[in-house]
Amino acid sequence: MNTNVPMPPPLQPAIGPSPGPGPGSLRPLGDDPDDRISIPGLAGTIEAMLRYPRRVMFHLRAPQSGSLIGLMVLVALFCSLVYGVVVGSFSGESQYWAAPVKIAAGLFISALICLPSLYIFSCLSGSEARLMEVLGLVMGLLALMTILLIGFAPVAWVFSQSTTSIAAMGSLHLVFWAIATYFGLRFLHHGLRHLSGKPAGLRVWVLVFLLVMLQMSTAIRPIVGKSDRFLTNEKKFFIKHWMEQFDGGQAAQPSFRRP
Amino acid sequence: MLRIWTDEWNTPRISLCVALIAGGAGCFGAAVGSWRAPEQALYCAIKLPLILLLTTVGNGLLNAMLAPLLGLNLPARQSFLAILVSFTLAAVILGAFSPLLAFLIWNLPPLTTAAESNLSAHSVILLGETAMIAFAGVAANVRLIQLLRLLSGHRTVARRILCAWLAGNLFLGSQLAWIARPFVGSPGLPVEFLRRDALEGSFFEALIRAARHLIFP
Repeated sequence: MNTNVPMPPPLQPAIGPSPGPGPGSLRPLGDDPDDRISIPGLAGTIEAMLRYPRRVMFHLRAPQSGSLIGLMVLVALFCSLVYGVVVGSFSGESQYWAAPVKIAAGLFISALICLPSLYIFSCLSGSEARLMEVLGLVMGLLALMTILLIGFAPVAWVFSQSTTSIAAMGSLHLVFWAIATYFGLRFLHHGLRHLSGKPAGLRVWVLVFLLVMLQMSTAIRPIVGKSDRFLTNEKKFFIKHWMEQFDGGQAAQPSFRRP
Repeated sequence: MLRIWTDEWNTPRISLCVALIAGGAGCFGAAVGSWRAPEQALYCAIKLPLILLLTTVGNGLLNAMLAPLLGLNLPARQSFLAILVSFTLAAVILGAFSPLLAFLIWNLPPLTTAAESNLSAHSVILLGETAMIAFAGVAANVRLIQLLRLLSGHRTVARRILCAWLAGNLFLGSQLAWIARPFVGSPGLPVEFLRRDALEGSFFEALIRAARHLIFP
C-alpha cells in the first residue's frame, strides 16, 4: 500500500459553517468579496443592514466589531427616538418627549434582559460565538427593527393626526412593530445560523423576547395616550391592558387625546 | 420600457410623470365630481392626483426598505420611480376613462330631482368609478410585476415585493382618500373641499363600524 500519496490540502474554512451550494444553503461569510467591504458611518450601517446583511454579520465576527456595534446602537437609538416623536404626536404636549424616551428605553432594556438567555441558547447549541457577537446580532435586530419603523413613520403620522381612538392607534403601532420585528428576527436567525449552524431553542427565545417587549410596552405605559405621571405604579399584564383599551378604557380616561 | 424609465433619475421624465398624474387623475376626478356641482369637479380634480402623489412620497422610504429585505437589492431611487411610473400608468388609464365616466354621469338624472333617484345615481357613479379604478390599478400592477420579475429574475421575489408595496400603498392611500373626502359628494351634504371632520376617525374605523352594523344590526 502506497502511503506516500499526497493528501489534498485541507480547505481553509471561511467564517461560519459551509453547507453545499444551492438557493437555500448557507454560504460561509467572507466567501463573497462583497462581504468584506468595510461599513463606514451611520448611513453605511443603515444601508448594510437593509441591503447587505451578510456584510454586517461578517464584520460582527471580526475582532474589531465594537465600532460596528456602537454604530448599530446609535442607529437604533436615533430611529427609535424619531419614531417615538411620531407616536407622541398622537397625544401631543409632554408625550412629544415622553414617548420617544419610553420607546427607546423599552427596546434597549428588553434586548438587554433577553441577551443572556440568547447567549446561553447559542452556547447550548454548540456555538463558539462570543458574547460580543451575540450582542452585535441583538443590536442588529434592534437597528433593523427601528430603521423599518422609520419607514412606517409617515403612515403612522397620517393616522395619528386622523383618529382619536387610542385602541386603533395602539393596534396600528402594534402591526408596524410586528412587521419590523419579523424582519429583525429574520436577521438574527440568519446571523445565528452562521454562528452555530442550527440555533437550538431559538423559537423559545423568540417567544420570550416577544413577550418581554409586549409586557414592557405595558409596564412603561402610557406610550400612545397620556397621563399626569410619566410612569404608572399599577402592575398589569399586557393582554388585560389591551382588553381594557378595547372595552372602552379610553372613555374612562378622557384626557388621553389632545383637545 | 418601464425599465428605461426607472433606470436613472431623469428630471424631465419625472416631471412628465407628475404632469400625467395631474392630468389623468385630474380629468377622472373632475368627471367624478361633476355630478354634484362644478366646484366639486374642481375639488376632485385637485384631490385625486394629490392622493396618488402623496401616497408615492409617503411610502417611498418604506417601499425602498422592503424591496431589499424581500430579496431584490433595488436602489431607493429605482423603487420610488417604479411606483411613480405605475401610478402614472394608472392615472393615464383613468384619464382615458374620464370621458366614459363623464358620459355616464351626463346620462344620469340630475341632482335636483327626487331623493330616490339621487340615491340610485350616486350608487351608479360609485360602482362605475370603482370598476374603472380597479381596472386601472390591475393594469398598472401587471406592468409593475413584469418590471420586478425582469429586475429580480424570480417570480416569487417579484410577487412578494409587489404584495408588500400594494399593501402599504393601499393602507396609506385609503386613509388619505378618507381624509380628502368627499369625491362624488353625498346629495344631502354641502359641497366643500374637505369635510369639517376630515381629521376625525380613519377609514378602517369606519370600515369596522360598518361591518359591526352589518353583523350586529
